[in-house]
Amino acid sequence: MLLPDRSTYNEFAPDGVTPRPYWSAVIESLQDIGPDELARRWERAERRIRENGVTYNVYTDPQGVNRPLAIDPIPLLIPPDEWRVIEAGITQRAHLLNLLLGDIYGPRQLVQNGDIPAALLFANPAFLRPLTGVAPPQRGHLHLIGVDLARSPDGRWWVLADRTQSPSGTGYALQNRTIVADVLPEAFGDANVRRLASFFRTWREVLLGLADCDHPRAVLLTPGPYNETYFEHSYLARYLGLTLAEGSDLTVRDRRVYLKTVEGLQPVHVILRRVDDSFCDPMELRHDSFLGVAGLVDAIHAGNVVVANALGSGVIETAAIMPFLPGLAEKLLGEALKLPSVATWWCGQDYALDWVLNHLDRVVVKPAFPLRGMEPVFGAGLSQAEKQRIGEQIRSRPYEYVAQEQVDLSTVPVWDQGRLYPRSLVLRTYVLNTGSGWIAMPGGLVRVSEADGQVVSMQRGGRSKDAWVLWDGPVDTFSMLRPRNQPVQLERAPADLPSRAADNLFWLGRYAERSESIARLLRCLMTRVRRANHTELACLFRLHGCLGSPHSTLPKDRPASARDLEDELVSLMSGVERPDSLASNLAEVHRVGGSVRERLSSDMSRLVVALAESARTENYMLFVEYSAVLNGCLELLSAFSGMERENITRGSGWLFLSLGRRLERAMYSVRQLRELTSGLDEQSWPLLEYVLEAADSSMTYRSRYFTTLQPIAVLDVLMADESNPRSLNFQMAHLADLHKRLPRHPPADQQAIQGALALLRGLDLEKLEFPLPGSDRPAGNSDGQSQIARSLGSVQKLLPSWADNISLTYFEHAHTYPISIGG
Amino acid sequence: MTYRIVHKTTYKYKVPVSVGNHIAYLTPRTFAHHTCMSHELLVAPAPAGVSERLDYFGNPVTFFTIREPHSELQIEARSRVVIDDDPAVWPERAQPWEEVAQSLPADRSPEGLDAYQFVFESPRIKPGAEFAEYASQSFSPARPLTEALLDLTGRIYKDFRFDSKATNVRTQPEEVLRHRRGVCQDFAHLQVACLRSLGLPARYVSGYLRTYPPPGRARLVGADASHAWVSAYCPGTGWLDVDPTNNLIPSQSHVTLSWGRDYGDVSPVRGVIQGGREHKVEVGVDMEPD
Repeated sequence: MLLPDRSTYNEFAPDGVTPRPYWSAVIESLQDIGPDELARRWERAERRIRENGVTYNVYTDPQGVNRPLAIDPIPLLIPPDEWRVIEAGITQRAHLLNLLLGDIYGPRQLVQNGDIPAALLFANPAFLRPLTGVAPPQRGHLHLIGVDLARSPDGRWWVLADRTQSPSGTGYALQNRTIVADVLPEAFGDANVRRLASFFRTWREVLLGLADCDHPRAVLLTPGPYNETYFEHSYLARYLGLTLAEGSDLTVRDRRVYLKTVEGLQPVHVILRRVDDSFCDPMELRHDSFLGVAGLVDAIHAGNVVVANALGSGVIETAAIMPFLPGLAEKLLGEALKLPSVATWWCGQDYALDWVLNHLDRVVVKPAFPLRGMEPVFGAGLSQAEKQRIGEQIRSRPYEYVAQEQVDLSTVPVWDQGRLYPRSLVLRTYVLNTGSGWIAMPGGLVRVSEADGQVVSMQRGGRSKDAWVLWDGPVDTFSMLRPRNQPVQLERAPADLPSRAADNLFWLGRYAERSESIARLLRCLMTRVRRANHTELACLFRLHGCLGSPHSTLPKDRPASARDLEDELVSLMSGVERPDSLASNLAEVHRVGGSVRERLSSDMSRLVVALAESARTENYMLFVEYSAVLNGCLELLSAFSGMERENITRGSGWLFLSLGRRLERAMYSVRQLRELTSGLDEQSWPLLEYVLEAADSSMTYRSRYFTTLQPIAVLDVLMADESNPRSLNFQMAHLADLHKRLPRHPPADQQAIQGALALLRGLDLEKLEFPLPGSDRPAGNSDGQSQIARSLGSVQKLLPSWADNISLTYFEHAHTYPISIGG
Repeated sequence: MTYRIVHKTTYKYKVPVSVGNHIAYLTPRTFAHHTCMSHELLVAPAPAGVSERLDYFGNPVTFFTIREPHSELQIEARSRVVIDDDPAVWPERAQPWEEVAQSLPADRSPEGLDAYQFVFESPRIKPGAEFAEYASQSFSPARPLTEALLDLTGRIYKDFRFDSKATNVRTQPEEVLRHRRGVCQDFAHLQVACLRSLGLPARYVSGYLRTYPPPGRARLVGADASHAWVSAYCPGTGWLDVDPTNNLIPSQSHVTLSWGRDYGDVSPVRGVIQGGREHKVEVGVDMEPD
């Protein structure tokens, strides 16, 4: 039950009981569904959110990177007439702000005429002087803006803030829509909700239209996986069909921007950027930025690239501009400002300063220029002494401060454990510059406060909601995902693969394979260690030794016992502090997989998330239970490698992923084969069985040789048999083949891998001599033995340097971070 | 007076640099009495792309990129500058300094607006009470701006010790004020901070100073140096230069390269490199009357 609270506007029911009429469709369908069914549906949706890896990274959260986004199933409803008011207000505002920016970075008439106080620019660190005098972008500085709205107790919407650099949230809004419309399909259908898809289609068209060339390449510039909204960057990149690029993926040559791909440099014409203004170019903007592209500003000056929104657009994010907007609207548009800003006083004006100092308890004091970093001060709660202090602080440099009226935010129900609770909300809306007009996204991102607080912020851990704009006319049901009645343009050309993404895919393959080898090895060891006799135990130690782990916990000063091995296995499975453990490798799969999320199918992304959880063990777990955990983990890993083969088009991305896997498996296989062929005596006979099992080749072996274990036959299966996808020669042949298909591959590396393959193929296993059980002839020392040892040795030596060459050829420039010198 | 100036900057890198993007503020400005007659920039290895433009403050800027791997970068700027006689016209009677500070926010003349932006905080200079306090001894109530300005210049000259080891390019003015040591860049930053803390507009000027050999000795090539000083705005007159490092009014011996809010706006050479890691810089300036 919603408690009536007459000091705020209740979006749902004015008296807390009787819903506003436009909620009826949603309420009826919620009643039809019933609380139990809603709970069931929501549980499913939440699982999907987790599995899809929808995240909002909160910097201070212990879960840190990749915290699932908290969503609420109940949408905010906006009736048609109210939306028309909002729409008219935000489009007018976007137009006005765009004109303002054009003047600020152009003639600065408004400052000269005194329409904008000069201090608002000159004291504003977001006023980027290197961007002045750039020929104005064809459609102005703004491409897409975000406007934060709040509703006051009288029912009017007010603007709280303008996001003019690179507004976040459109991707979350889209994701929320997908989830909520799925949970409440009946309500969504009945309520005649305006759709979002055509807005995004227009967005994509507008973006590509920013370049004046025939086949423009547009990228989405992201600060990278550690940014709090990285999920959104990869989601949007995929949805809008843009290449996701970090600053180090781009380079400027001859005043043009290029994307570093595995195929070489590719020209970039449009950059949709999610990097803040001043971080975009370490040459001319912040010298300490690692997120930007050196020379970008100069490329902009040369007119060779369009950055959306234009660099420097952040200058009008200051709330200090708000008091001047009504006058500017009259002057520049000849209209009244349609949507008011929350009452704001910029202390740089004498009368505003006086008013603020006399009314501190009615306002929130904030830094005028957000870059300066200062927490808002709520005047109402201050003691006389504190007021004195903040007053002095303001008076020392008044133009650095704004004061705003504290808005009593409206409330909307959120759903929690079957009950509804009122929560304060802020609605972020979006406006797109189409070149021939401004269009508002029919919806938005609603953020609600956690508990009863008035502070609404994703960074502080609030929840988000979908916003449904109810419509009184027909709604456009176009869908970007399932285009209908539209001629499909077939595109077979390989999409750009940035070097960094290739690097990550390569390592995704390596970590996935490494995880699989370790999991198989662990399963083989764990199921045996407790019932192994002396001979078998020695072989288990040798099998474990194949890992060559420098992080092993086995004692070095005394012979290791079965108990030691057990402890080591547990550590190898779940020790997060050791980099070679299964848990650490799966964490890497998750990390690397997350950073190339936009290149994986959603099923694969889900697996990556599930994998990270799959090897989780509990302290009280019985030793025998570990193998069940490993089975689960191996199933997921097999599913992943299956999708790798079946669900990815054979572009260069797949080549690098597969190279990584083959390379890792080859390295692991060589180590085991060397162990097997060096001194295989009577005592070590069980090792044959273990290695077969760890290489998942027991079945292959048995189907051919029934149950007799013959070293030469085992070697044939594990090394020479190129029809066995676990054999060494299979890996080598595939490495050679994959490498040959890489763009601009160095011939020397191709020769090296072909040479190694020829060497291995030339080995004559028949010549090998091994002792038979019961015989006392020692193994080794025959010609065959030393030849195979030499060959395996040289392959083992080759592989790491061969892998390094791949890195040097394809990934190197993605890794060198720029250094600022001088200055 | 005519000068020929050769300004050599050499970067030596420990590891080869694969790509270097650079910005140079090495072209002398032309204004009023001060004319850059000719200028050339020689860079080795040869740059792959060079572009030039005027920056926001009207300073000529050169951008260049080097794309061949190199362990050493040489930048040599050769300029010829003519300074007309007796350029600094200081007013006989200037306004009291408070009037300047108070009138400027409302001054919408192009000069006034241009000057006003030099009142505010800039990336390397944050005005504050400590600077205002140090300056207040010179800026006593109602004292004419010019008189107070020269007094402050003299005090910085007397109170601070020239010490090239005490600071580096990143030393903050607060630290200079505390330790009373530094080089021309530090003193210029400090004086700018003092003036801005009083609400007065002040610019940082980058340039060269002619030096004289000890009597009887020959002038050493490369012994001159980059220099920095301060310019303060006096309504009705314009910008007046003062040199706190030498306690003098720059005239015939100072050649101006560029001006900005602080060193960061006009540092003679800076860049972003790939590779390189540690590096050493050598700078030599040779300023010769023509």
